[in-house]
Amino acid sequence: MIFIGERINGGFKDIVKAIKEKDKDIIKKWAIRQTRAGADYIDVNIGAVSNKVKDYIWMIETVQETVPTPISIDTNKLEFVKEALKLCQKTPLINSTTAHDERLDQLVPLAVEHEVGLIGVCMDEKGSPQDVNRRVELAAKIFTHAVEKGLPPERLFLDPVIMPLKFLQPQAADVLEAIRQFKLLSDPPPHIGVGLSNISSQTIESRLINRTFLVMAIEAGLDAAICDVTDTELVNAAITAELIKGEHIYSDSFIKAYQAAKKPRIGD
Amino acid sequence: MALTGLGIYKHLPKTNCGDCNFPTCMAFAMQLAAKKVSLDQCPHVSDEGKAALAEASAPPMKLVKIGKNSHELLIGQETVLFRHQEKFHHPTGIAVKVKDDLAEEELANRIEAINNLHFVRVGEEIGVDLIAVEHSSTSPQGYARVVKKVKEMSDLPLVLLSPDPKIAEAGLEVSAERRPLIYAATGKNWQQMASLARKHSSPLALKGENLEELADLTQQIKKLGVDDLVLSVDGPRVADTLQDLTRIRRLTLSKTFRPLGYPTIAFVTGKDPFQQVGQAATYICKYGSIVVMEGTEPWKILPLLTIRQNIYTDPQVPNAVEAKLYEIGEVTSHSPVLVTTNFSLTYFTVEGEIENSKIPTYISVVETEGLGVLNAYAGDKWSAEKIGKTLEEQKIKERINHNSVIIPGLVAVFRAELEEDFGWKVLIGPEEAARIPSFLKNEWKVTS
Amino acid sequence: MLIPEVRQKWANPINTITIGATPEEGGTRTRTVTVGGSTTLPFLHFEGKIPHRPALAMEVQDITPKDWPEILGEHFSDVWDDPGRWAKKCVDKFGADLVCLRLAGCDPDGENKSPDEAAVAVKSVLEAVGVPLIVWGCGDNDKDNEVLPQCSEISAGERSLFGSITEDNYKTLVALCKADGHKLIAESPVDINIAKQVNVLATDLGLDPKDIVIYPTSGALGYGMEYVYSIMERGRIAGLDGDTMWAMPILCDIGKEVWKVKEAVSDEIAEWGDQSQRGPLWEATTAYVYLLAGADILIMRHPKAVSEVKKYLEKLIESK
Repeated sequence: MIFIGERINGGFKDIVKAIKEKDKDIIKKWAIRQTRAGADYIDVNIGAVSNKVKDYIWMIETVQETVPTPISIDTNKLEFVKEALKLCQKTPLINSTTAHDERLDQLVPLAVEHEVGLIGVCMDEKGSPQDVNRRVELAAKIFTHAVEKGLPPERLFLDPVIMPLKFLQPQAADVLEAIRQFKLLSDPPPHIGVGLSNISSQTIESRLINRTFLVMAIEAGLDAAICDVTDTELVNAAITAELIKGEHIYSDSFIKAYQAAKKPRIGD
Repeated sequence: MALTGLGIYKHLPKTNCGDCNFPTCMAFAMQLAAKKVSLDQCPHVSDEGKAALAEASAPPMKLVKIGKNSHELLIGQETVLFRHQEKFHHPTGIAVKVKDDLAEEELANRIEAINNLHFVRVGEEIGVDLIAVEHSSTSPQGYARVVKKVKEMSDLPLVLLSPDPKIAEAGLEVSAERRPLIYAATGKNWQQMASLARKHSSPLALKGENLEELADLTQQIKKLGVDDLVLSVDGPRVADTLQDLTRIRRLTLSKTFRPLGYPTIAFVTGKDPFQQVGQAATYICKYGSIVVMEGTEPWKILPLLTIRQNIYTDPQVPNAVEAKLYEIGEVTSHSPVLVTTNFSLTYFTVEGEIENSKIPTYISVVETEGLGVLNAYAGDKWSAEKIGKTLEEQKIKERINHNSVIIPGLVAVFRAELEEDFGWKVLIGPEEAARIPSFLKNEWKVTS
Repeated sequence: MLIPEVRQKWANPINTITIGATPEEGGTRTRTVTVGGSTTLPFLHFEGKIPHRPALAMEVQDITPKDWPEILGEHFSDVWDDPGRWAKKCVDKFGADLVCLRLAGCDPDGENKSPDEAAVAVKSVLEAVGVPLIVWGCGDNDKDNEVLPQCSEISAGERSLFGSITEDNYKTLVALCKADGHKLIAESPVDINIAKQVNVLATDLGLDPKDIVIYPTSGALGYGMEYVYSIMERGRIAGLDGDTMWAMPILCDIGKEVWKVKEAVSDEIAEWGDQSQRGPLWEATTAYVYLLAGADILIMRHPKAVSEVKKYLEKLIESK
């Protein structure tokens, strides 16, 4: 399972404060906490706090000087992506492109040239996908475009786009079915990742919903998630789901063993 | 993966007409990849598309038959890289070579010796599968004479070893009805060899300088309608053969690379018997579909047959025999009763030792789900109580006029309970099966 | 025709372990043995590095064995009353890379030798040969926990390989290993999950995972070999994929298993052919198969099996 820590995001009040006041400590704290919890990537998202590229650079540099964990460059501004790519020392992920031709044309070549990972979100000018078939169409479009331009499936992550359970409950099952079908797209299949917390948006039992959906999604074929990696029960549930699928060798101390394991990284 | 969504989509009309009841061709392709619909739901697939899709859904490795009827050897159609992923399906065929320049009597002796290379292990017959007749310097007629002799003296399928189509033809003329493996077509002679193979419906081995050449050869020969092909992997060094066999298996299964999707054949080299066995062992374990050995000494062949038996066992099927009362020899009411587990290896080892002792004995086999003496004990699969109940169910007391049973030495701890709760007189047998004959001879006494 | 690429890139090399310490390193060995370090499956030179070849150890005991068949015993009957001389013959005449001293004499159901006697045996082997040493207890946990501390102490600094720790009995040996600088054999009963767990338990106590060699128990050819073979393959793949608790070199204890079975031991079954060849070949063949599954250290008995396996290994480690 590839865990992408979601916490350094301008949607959180303390991060807003940190960016505005240039308070490194808050950013460092979350970089360390997420790394200790086992994050494979630290997602860095400036939100609506600032549209100055130097502020984004400041965030990335602060994370990088604190932890060796690779970064997930979470922005829709092309300039931010380009600057971040120059800075990243460990092979990062570009989070993300959509299925819009324009975005694909901008971001796929960058991913190919810099040999980094790319998340492709199944959305286009028609908006968010409403059903399984649309998700598969968009996934096929992103996949074909990326592979034709030279991005190998091992560096591509397809995101079927989670909708909040509270407002669009039937789509939860659609996302799971879409994951199953994405896995049949190609051999080898690309990675499949989601922004997990979306499923529990504005719910009370958020952790329970996140955890249960993640386990079901792993069974369907998910292998990456942007999520609250400091939620130990969430992470342990994911590890256990993979164990049940036979992806790790069982031992009584399997959680400990998993934490000691060396996980292959893109760019290794 | 057999057929992927995108792989299927390539061959669809891409019109999104909806006649298949799905909104788009992509959606239909995904359903087909998930095996939820069949291709004929789309009325507009072209004939080329249909053919391509049919070919793509065939097993990645060809199944090749050598020989005919009851003495047919099946090789190929493998599905995994490692036995633990599922199992290996068609055990490696072991061939022994016979050269065509042997004197009449020596030839006859050799064929006899090969015919005798079969054994019974753990209740299963294991033996050599093919005789490979190697051409050295004789004329085509000379070679044909030897092939004929081999064919008459042995039922085993044949391999005709010669790069010369004239020699192969001579051999085929006297043995075609047995569908021998023709070894081999090369870059130089493939047209003639392929035409012989087609004429006689015989399987054909291919030899090339490297994998690229082999891949080209299979495609050329396939166009002539010959597809029962076996790839020769010839090193030149042992490490090269191992790696090429591995590459071929990976190409076949991980890349569905059809030009090399065929079974393989490898030969041992050199004169040193232990080294020959080393090579053969390597190729049996790692993706050799046929291995050609030299020499007919049983002590050389038995280890190879045993490796094959072991490696080609289905890991998911417990090796167990039926739990019941077995009679070994002409048992009487005075005969001893040995208790053991239903793990095949344990049972057949015990049975073998009893046969060696020549003392008729009952074996009471207890259901332990295919676990041996110690594992069953550790896993709580048997106990004194279970043994007692089994003995009752098997109605042993009706067959014997004593009340003694012998339990394995490793579970001597069961004795007290068996005696107290079930009224048996319990003798502690040996811990090792090898001591059973001396135990039965010296320590077993009927105590009625 | 272009052939697609099938080289695999594995995430994690197998650990490298060095047994034996030279005088510069604090021991008295004239050479050390290093195994492990592969970045791919056995002998697949085309896709990875195999920096160290598997090593062959020959077994000696602290008592004269009583049940070795003639075709095996005849090679050692002139020396096997003295572990030092026995070890020396194994190295000088038969080319062993290491010597494995099995303390069979300490078995409480057998001669029940004392810790002092065991230590003397260890010392005599250390003095007789310059190759690294494997010291294996008698298999009775309580007795081994009494005997091995002295053996460990008397060979402190020699970086010997001690056997063995199990899921239920590991604390004593782990402590000894850390105190006296030795390496450990981690044993499990043909169970891939317990094999992993033993390593977790031992490393939890502070043992460096790099000081561990995995022993999944060995089965002779025809006697459960395939169970062990598949555990070794699965475990090795997991180690290369990143499971650090299965990324250790593997040891196979072959002589002990093979020289119990009929096919090696019996001269009564004519249809099986000449025992004097069959016996050593049965041992060599068991070794050949385990090498393909990832064996890094093989403990063997018959000199012919040892020399033939060594010869065959030369062929397997040839790369372009």
